Amino acid sequence: MDEITRREFIKISAGAALVTLLPKSLFSANNQNVPVIGVAHGEQAKLVRAAVDLVGGIKNYVKSGDVVCIKPNLSFASNVDCGATTSPEIVKQMVQLCLDAGASKVMVVDHTIQDPTLCVERSRIEEAIIDKKVSLVTLQKERQYAEVKVPQGKELSTIQVAKVIQNADVLINMPTAKSHSATGVSLGIKNLMGLIWDRGYLHRVNLHQAIAELATVIKPDLTVVDATRALTSGGPGGPGNTAILNKVVAGTDLVAVDSYTVSLTQWYRKSFTGTQVKYIKAAADLGLGEIDTNNMRIKEAAV
Amino acid sequence: MNLRVTKHHIIRWAVQFVFLTLFIIFFINTRYGTPVSFQNLFFRFDPLVFFIVSIAYRTVISAALLSVILVIATLVFGRFFCGFICPLGTTIDIFDLFSRKGKRAQPNFKNGKYLVLLFLTLSAILGASFLHFFEPLVILERSLTLIFYPVVVYFTGLFTLIPSVVYTESALALVVFAMILGLNFVSQRFWCRNLCPLGGLLALFAKISAFKFSFGEGCTQCGVCEKICPTGAISIESAKIDAGECIECLRCQYECPQDTINYKISLRPSGFDVRRRQILSTLGASVLLAPLAKILLHQRLAGRLIRPPGSIPESDFVNTCIHCGKCMKVCPTNGLQPCILEAGINGIWTPRLVARIGGCEKNCNMCGQVCPTSAIRNLPLEEKTYVKMGTAVIDRARCIAWEQDKVCLICDEACPYNAINSLNETIRDTTLLRPFVDERICTGCGLCEARCPIEGRAAIEVFSISEERKRHGSYITEEKVNLRACEEKVEDVPSGFIIDN
Repeated sequence: MDEITRREFIKISAGAALVTLLPKSLFSANNQNVPVIGVAHGEQAKLVRAAVDLVGGIKNYVKSGDVVCIKPNLSFASNVDCGATTSPEIVKQMVQLCLDAGASKVMVVDHTIQDPTLCVERSRIEEAIIDKKVSLVTLQKERQYAEVKVPQGKELSTIQVAKVIQNADVLINMPTAKSHSATGVSLGIKNLMGLIWDRGYLHRVNLHQAIAELATVIKPDLTVVDATRALTSGGPGGPGNTAILNKVVAGTDLVAVDSYTVSLTQWYRKSFTGTQVKYIKAAADLGLGEIDTNNMRIKEAAV
Repeated sequence: MNLRVTKHHIIRWAVQFVFLTLFIIFFINTRYGTPVSFQNLFFRFDPLVFFIVSIAYRTVISAALLSVILVIATLVFGRFFCGFICPLGTTIDIFDLFSRKGKRAQPNFKNGKYLVLLFLTLSAILGASFLHFFEPLVILERSLTLIFYPVVVYFTGLFTLIPSVVYTESALALVVFAMILGLNFVSQRFWCRNLCPLGGLLALFAKISAFKFSFGEGCTQCGVCEKICPTGAISIESAKIDAGECIECLRCQYECPQDTINYKISLRPSGFDVRRRQILSTLGASVLLAPLAKILLHQRLAGRLIRPPGSIPESDFVNTCIHCGKCMKVCPTNGLQPCILEAGINGIWTPRLVARIGGCEKNCNMCGQVCPTSAIRNLPLEEKTYVKMGTAVIDRARCIAWEQDKVCLICDEACPYNAINSLNETIRDTTLLRPFVDERICTGCGLCEARCPIEGRAAIEVFSISEERKRHGSYITEEKVNLRACEEKVEDVPSGFIIDN
């Protein structure tokens, strides 16, 4: 048996020590697929910037001159405190970030479920329209949509998707964290239903699968969940119980963001994981992202 | 005292234009989100609305008490309203510019307007209001709402994102409007001089008004004035100008070659010439038609006549509602629609909620705000949400959650009152959340019916089951408040979760 000399031992030890200083990513084969989730909590006015900074900062997503679409949830004409719609304050911070990053145009878009005038009024979303470059576009007319094929679809073969997002450079998905009487929770993937024309059709087929298939054709560049408060029952329209979380969750992996957000609070007075939500599970099965919170890098920041 | 000024008729056109424009501005502003204090002003100044509705409803319509001002003004200045203000009169004048040719016959049926007025009054006494067929401002407002508004929205919708507007009944409104304009081919201002009951009512006051037009010295009986008078108010033969017929258009004064027509104080009333036979036949018509209207009113067998929130009891509603269409214009969801025969023959153009087109938004009480006669009471927003207009009923055979095991529950999602409980129910070994209506909480707003994704008839429909209609008093009760405040909504965990056992 060869003995190791002291010199050799020191060499090896030093080498090993050096190796530990190198970035982890050089060694792990699947590390590049681990999605990063940015979670900011604390003071509302700083949450969005903090969360987006954790996932690389806004410049990673919005380049100078880009046309940006922001999709909050404005579906219901219920008061902001109720939690059925994305807070105007949170949307406003995102709008500001996009403008700071040099966006040439920012459109806040949604296909509201109830009357658009009332939804706009109650959601106070006009507070987020802070600049001439920023506009609010409600998607209430069929001619605002264009058909898109769903190659991976089993429930959907084609779907009419808002043209405005098809033509935009960047799509930022801004759901609010809320419960949903049919799908359990309504988060990032579910929020995409506000970008299609015929929502009712999805309810007439297998809803969970159809929602997941929607995410194969509508791919937001960034998803930022308003979890300042979560409507934990009575969703999606409210009224119901709300939990004050003071958090904003950001990420590029829709499935990961949704799955992580599920774990933030109880829903209907019970604890769930992302894997227990049928539409999130279906999306993961379609290979749209990581559902296991253990395989995510959760970066947190207090502001 | 002589107020004669030449070219007064140009001023008249300007004034007419201003009031027609105002009427249209009020009309356009009858929409969600604009303050409403002024939008029904024309109707509140209307003495015919005040008079007939107060009689039919057996209650003084306080909102229309402003009309006393118009009566007093008419008692002083005569029937200036018709010549200067009435927007329908102006519309007729504008139409007249294009229909001058071939208009020679001047049939005299001046008493018609008094008989229509008499008919309306007698019928109102007998408990049926036919105001909506004859009231000029109502006819114009309704025509704007049901005919012009959807057309304008259609064209603007081609270039903008304004959502389209539809009404279930526009054709009959168009017929009435077209007839009134068409009568102009028979003679100038045919409607105003022969049929308009508001004109008739004002004429009664104008006949004893302080200021009147009359012939002065120097009249050569040339007959120019008699020929050009649009209402046939002038008789050269008897050298009289009937203050009841005169709409003070000032044309005679301007055209008179001798400048002999004066506008001055005269306390001698103009005469009346209504035949007994005419009165008797009007009486007969009222006695026949008023009960008929009331009897037909009660054909509500389908149970689908949902009135706007805060509507007074049905028997009073059809009489108090002047069928002007303001509530339908203002309704942000387009859910308020004109009745055709759903509320009986006399209920035509009264509003009803057609929830399949649009439900009653929780945060809106505009219909009550714009109603000129408070047939829809102006309830505060909070109280309006407690009005029970009806009850939603689920047709399980059509419902895809019940019949096809689909995860739908859009009705639950749509309900702003949490009146739909989604509960686990096992059918053919499939356990799934299925919707149930809590009839104690359901207000009948119909937002569920509007959104039900079934093609055609919805699987959840609002019926007038246990609807509440109150003349007075609050709709808020302790029981309702407690039910709604109940934190523990009956709610099973949604089927969207996979539950670990």
